[in-house]
Amino acid sequence: MAGVLTSSHAACVWIPLLPLRLEEARRPDLRARPLALLDPHDGRRLWHTAPLARRAGVRPGMTIGQAIGLCPTLVLCEPDPVHYDERFARLVAALGEVSPVVEPAELGRAFVGTDGLERLYGPPEQQLAVIARTVDEWGKGEEGRGKGTASSHYPSRFPLPPSRRLGWGRGKFISWVAASRANPGTAIIIADGEGRDFLASQSITVLPLDPDTHRRLSQLGLTTLGALAALPEEAIVAQFGRAGRRLWRLAAGRIAEPVVGRPAPQQIGAAAHFPAPIADRLMLARTLERLVARALASPRRTGWRVQVVRARAALEHGASWMTEVTLKDPSADRGRIAAPLTVRLEQAPPTGAVERLAVEFLAFTPGTTELQLFARDAASAARAGRRRALRAAAQEIKTRFHRPLLHHVIEVQPWSRLPERRYALIDFEP
Amino acid sequence: MSDNRGVGTWGRGRSVAPRVDRLRAVNLPKPVAVERDAEGKPVAVELHGKRETGNGKRRSADPPINLSVEYLGEEWRIDDEWWRHPIARRYVEVMLDGGGRVVLYEDLITGEWWMQMP
Repeated sequence: MAGVLTSSHAACVWIPLLPLRLEEARRPDLRARPLALLDPHDGRRLWHTAPLARRAGVRPGMTIGQAIGLCPTLVLCEPDPVHYDERFARLVAALGEVSPVVEPAELGRAFVGTDGLERLYGPPEQQLAVIARTVDEWGKGEEGRGKGTASSHYPSRFPLPPSRRLGWGRGKFISWVAASRANPGTAIIIADGEGRDFLASQSITVLPLDPDTHRRLSQLGLTTLGALAALPEEAIVAQFGRAGRRLWRLAAGRIAEPVVGRPAPQQIGAAAHFPAPIADRLMLARTLERLVARALASPRRTGWRVQVVRARAALEHGASWMTEVTLKDPSADRGRIAAPLTVRLEQAPPTGAVERLAVEFLAFTPGTTELQLFARDAASAARAGRRRALRAAAQEIKTRFHRPLLHHVIEVQPWSRLPERRYALIDFEP
Repeated sequence: MSDNRGVGTWGRGRSVAPRVDRLRAVNLPKPVAVERDAEGKPVAVELHGKRETGNGKRRSADPPINLSVEYLGEEWRIDDEWWRHPIARRYVEVMLDGGGRVVLYEDLITGEWWMQMP
């Protein structure tokens, strides 16, 4: 495995409200309507709200009832986090073509390490131009690449509205603040040495603050990074603890956190030796499955799907057997990876008894249906599994009855004295 | 490109025709014909049923069924939204002949009767 790649200079790519943009790209009729996405973890609350909805006072975190009270024409949309994650993973992969150091921060925000890129592309302006072209190409959609994947039953070609903002500077924070200040479709470059002056006039809202800290800073009259940095560091630490020290240092431009890349794992493999050579195909197929499972369990594989897999066998009398499969849909599922190998085993079996069998993962793609880029824990993986099962069941019902018959029950005004106002049904298509 | 995931707008009142892509209220009241006694209390309810014709798709209306009220339960009144579209309802919980328990209400503005599930 290669060492971790870092870069002290960063370009920040920011696409605000990416999930909303992706929904609008998928369904252009929603662009002219006040749209809100439901929270994937709490279906009673809003996650993202479009500018038209914000104009009516609708804010993220509100309950559906509150939001509808403010904006009766509000269009609610169930989120499709797997789709957002896949699309963003493709953007991260595309940015990986520009620089080997790419760090995704959150949906819609990624940092590209730019150290050394001047020799490839020229000064920061040229580097940002290349990044902008990459993002725009990604935004135009990719014909066919997403078709047939388990995560999405929509065609993947739909252009995104141009809303990306770019920032360039030393360290992730300065580049992020620059991107947040850029107009849509534009970029801001902060040269070395100008960082502190640039930061001094920025609002404290660019800091990674929790609501309570933000409120306390506001109550202290600290509204800009300059005002915060003008205070003694120890005074901030006394008020806000260790987190305060980091905030002060960010505000003062004392920290330039480097971009940390995610190196693609090198080849991952697993092998089995047979004390007595075996020729039974069923046993070989089961061994292949077990080896695939063992290789998948490697911690280096976390967050990556397998694209190319190879099976090799050492046969008695010194002969060998090998087959290699490129998966159409990269996967982290044991069955999906082992199935084509088993088919090859049936179609072109080894010519003798096998003494040693090995499975090797040769190529990977980032982000997965089964194991999300931003949801790598076991609970999230379980949720993704349940979602797949639900999707299959819902699709079967729809095919059979020609209309969706599954609904979510959502609370609208559970406190209402009128029974018909309390709950509503919304079509359920996971 | 078709996308039938849950998207909907919330219409006001019952005038909004239910559509597949809309939020649909649960437990909407249904109009019923109610026979009343001299005190105005319900004594019988006329229900309109629907039956399957066999292929699972078409439905036809059954003849209305008259069910007498066996028992009158709790009564209450709701007055609300006087500031925009006033709502005035007199609710009564009834047990129908055969054991069905429903909630009836009289719209005190229009005089119409409606039925809801408890």
